[in-house]
Amino acid sequence: MKVKFFATIREHTGSREIDVAEQGCGSVGGLLQHLCSLYGRELCSLLLEDGKLGSKIIVLVNGRNVVHLQGMDTPLEKDDEVSIFPVVAGG
Amino acid sequence: MMFGWTGNLLRVNLTDGTIKKEALCPKDAEMYLGARGLATKIMMDEVDPKVDPLSEENKLIFMTGPLTGTFASSGGRYEVVAKAPLTGTIGASNSGGHFGPELKYAGYDGIIFEGRAEKPVYLWIEDDNVELRDALHLWGKNVFETTDTVLAETAEDARVACIGPGGEKMVLFAGVLNDRNRAAGRSGLGAVMGSKNLKAVAVKGSKSIKVADPEGFMEACTDARTKLKEHPVTGGGLPTYGTQILINILNQSGALPTRNWRDGGIFEEAEGISGETLAEKYLVRNKGCFGCNIGCGRITRIPEGKFKSFGEGPEYEAGWALGACCGVGDLEAVSKANFICNELGIDPITTGATIACAMEMYEKGILTEEEVGRAIPFGDAEALVELTRMIGLREGFGDVLAEGSYRMASKYGCPELSMSVKKQEMPAYDARGVQGMGLEYATSNRGGCHVRGYLTSPEILGIPEKLDPLVTEGKAGWLKIFQDLTAVVDSAGICLFTTFAIGLPEISSMLRTATGINATDEEILKAGERIWNLERMFNIKAGFTAADDTLPPRLLKEPLQSGPAKGKVVDLEKMLPEYYEVRGWGADGVPTAEKLQDLSIG
Repeated sequence: MKVKFFATIREHTGSREIDVAEQGCGSVGGLLQHLCSLYGRELCSLLLEDGKLGSKIIVLVNGRNVVHLQGMDTPLEKDDEVSIFPVVAGG
Repeated sequence: MMFGWTGNLLRVNLTDGTIKKEALCPKDAEMYLGARGLATKIMMDEVDPKVDPLSEENKLIFMTGPLTGTFASSGGRYEVVAKAPLTGTIGASNSGGHFGPELKYAGYDGIIFEGRAEKPVYLWIEDDNVELRDALHLWGKNVFETTDTVLAETAEDARVACIGPGGEKMVLFAGVLNDRNRAAGRSGLGAVMGSKNLKAVAVKGSKSIKVADPEGFMEACTDARTKLKEHPVTGGGLPTYGTQILINILNQSGALPTRNWRDGGIFEEAEGISGETLAEKYLVRNKGCFGCNIGCGRITRIPEGKFKSFGEGPEYEAGWALGACCGVGDLEAVSKANFICNELGIDPITTGATIACAMEMYEKGILTEEEVGRAIPFGDAEALVELTRMIGLREGFGDVLAEGSYRMASKYGCPELSMSVKKQEMPAYDARGVQGMGLEYATSNRGGCHVRGYLTSPEILGIPEKLDPLVTEGKAGWLKIFQDLTAVVDSAGICLFTTFAIGLPEISSMLRTATGINATDEEILKAGERIWNLERMFNIKAGFTAADDTLPPRLLKEPLQSGPAKGKVVDLEKMLPEYYEVRGWGADGVPTAEKLQDLSIG
């Protein structure tokens, strides 16, 4: 599946997007753990807070915020697109 | 003696040249706070809502709030208010920079302009010395030239608000620009200024603003400033990326209106016009307004090429309107068009959205190359820049575009292609994918607008709570609170962006300690509700009805074809009756007598 990073998240990943094989991270929680192992503690502290979804990030699966899906348990398929943003605003 | 407010207004009659200093009514100040609220109260008291907006019977009011110019964070705001020529509704447009604070330092809460000058004039205020000066030599000059000339003629450290050629030529969406690049941009208040032959207002002040409880006020402001600094949005995202940071998240959410909202909410070239790209390639530095510890402004340089230029912006709405809405993915062209809008003094949202409407009409064969003077397909960056310039000068086909998309499309028999509400173009959120924003657009007192009740914040950005953008339940209640609180913020004289980090308790605390008013948080929020209802009453008296609380057919009948909101239209039929009920209005959308009495609106 495709995972896209935006704004300050890119400072941690050094890339705009990566392809992730779905094995081992069949859910949003699994994916975030996988990203922690890829990018280290600093990003991990944003992605996860006490094992829960970080409060300073927004995770979309196919454009839907996971908090309106099944949160960390939101299942991921190989054709899904995941977008990870820091909390942003403007207007 | 008043605290927070200076207690003084200036009344300038442009017809006979008289200038009077008047006392601000303390009761009105307490009930309507300032800026947007207080100016609307004056409009309601003094102007027939049915007046022709460009006639001398309309008034033009510049008004600050009690927190303007104080230590309150982002307290650099003032409001320009008149009956708006684009919509025919009450027009209220808010701007930052330094002009508002300077007006208070000169000793005035606001200026009421009446009548029409026989020849172009500008107003020069230096504390108690106020005079109208000839501006014939300024007529035709752009915003930057005007500002420089007026500063040279008055004082180099004065502050200037003015119109460009767009306002002079009464482009129906001309704005009032202050401090060069900050704009009271929407609804055409610059055209009202132009209709009055008023080219500029320059002000320099040397007085101070007194607050009721200096120690308490300092504490309240410090608390707010700390929260703004510590919040990831106001202390991180906005200073780093500016408001353009929203391009990608709206696009990924399938709600970035593309090609006049025809192609849904996903623009394939969004990354190219995003805040990330702006920061990486063109940003010189960020910039804050008076007393702001956010600093969302962008100073931008396009270093080379055919769109080589330097200026401020683009902000998100402008970047979207001139970019995705026109199908243009070239940030250099988008920035250049934005700079031209600032230079000529026109609203980039309506400019971009009107060009987008013309591009769709061109692709449908309704507009021809001969008529426009060139081909204008979606995505044509050069056409975007050229049409922007033509609008600001009302040159060639720009004269037709200068009337806004609704009047232009109606002229060719296709008003349904205008993506506007009450003739003002909607901004950058496809309401089919952000349902609450549909209700917000439909009910905004100044037509299509995002800053009257920004439900994108909870629906997409998750602030202060996470609301599902695809459901309608509960949105009416949320919208009422957002609309009322926004009216408080605008009227207090602080920036709406502070509300990403602080809320009613912090704002009320600053208002109480600054002014000495003995009001609870709830009573202050009720002042916001009062302002909202007064604006509504102005519009009703101007002839608007519930039938005007609607959306373009595209949003109500054409489902999105892709993205997370695929298959959705805006379910306005469901939300609107609930909204009227939550507001305490009749089913006809008119505030009931009981509601008006409860709000002490006579």
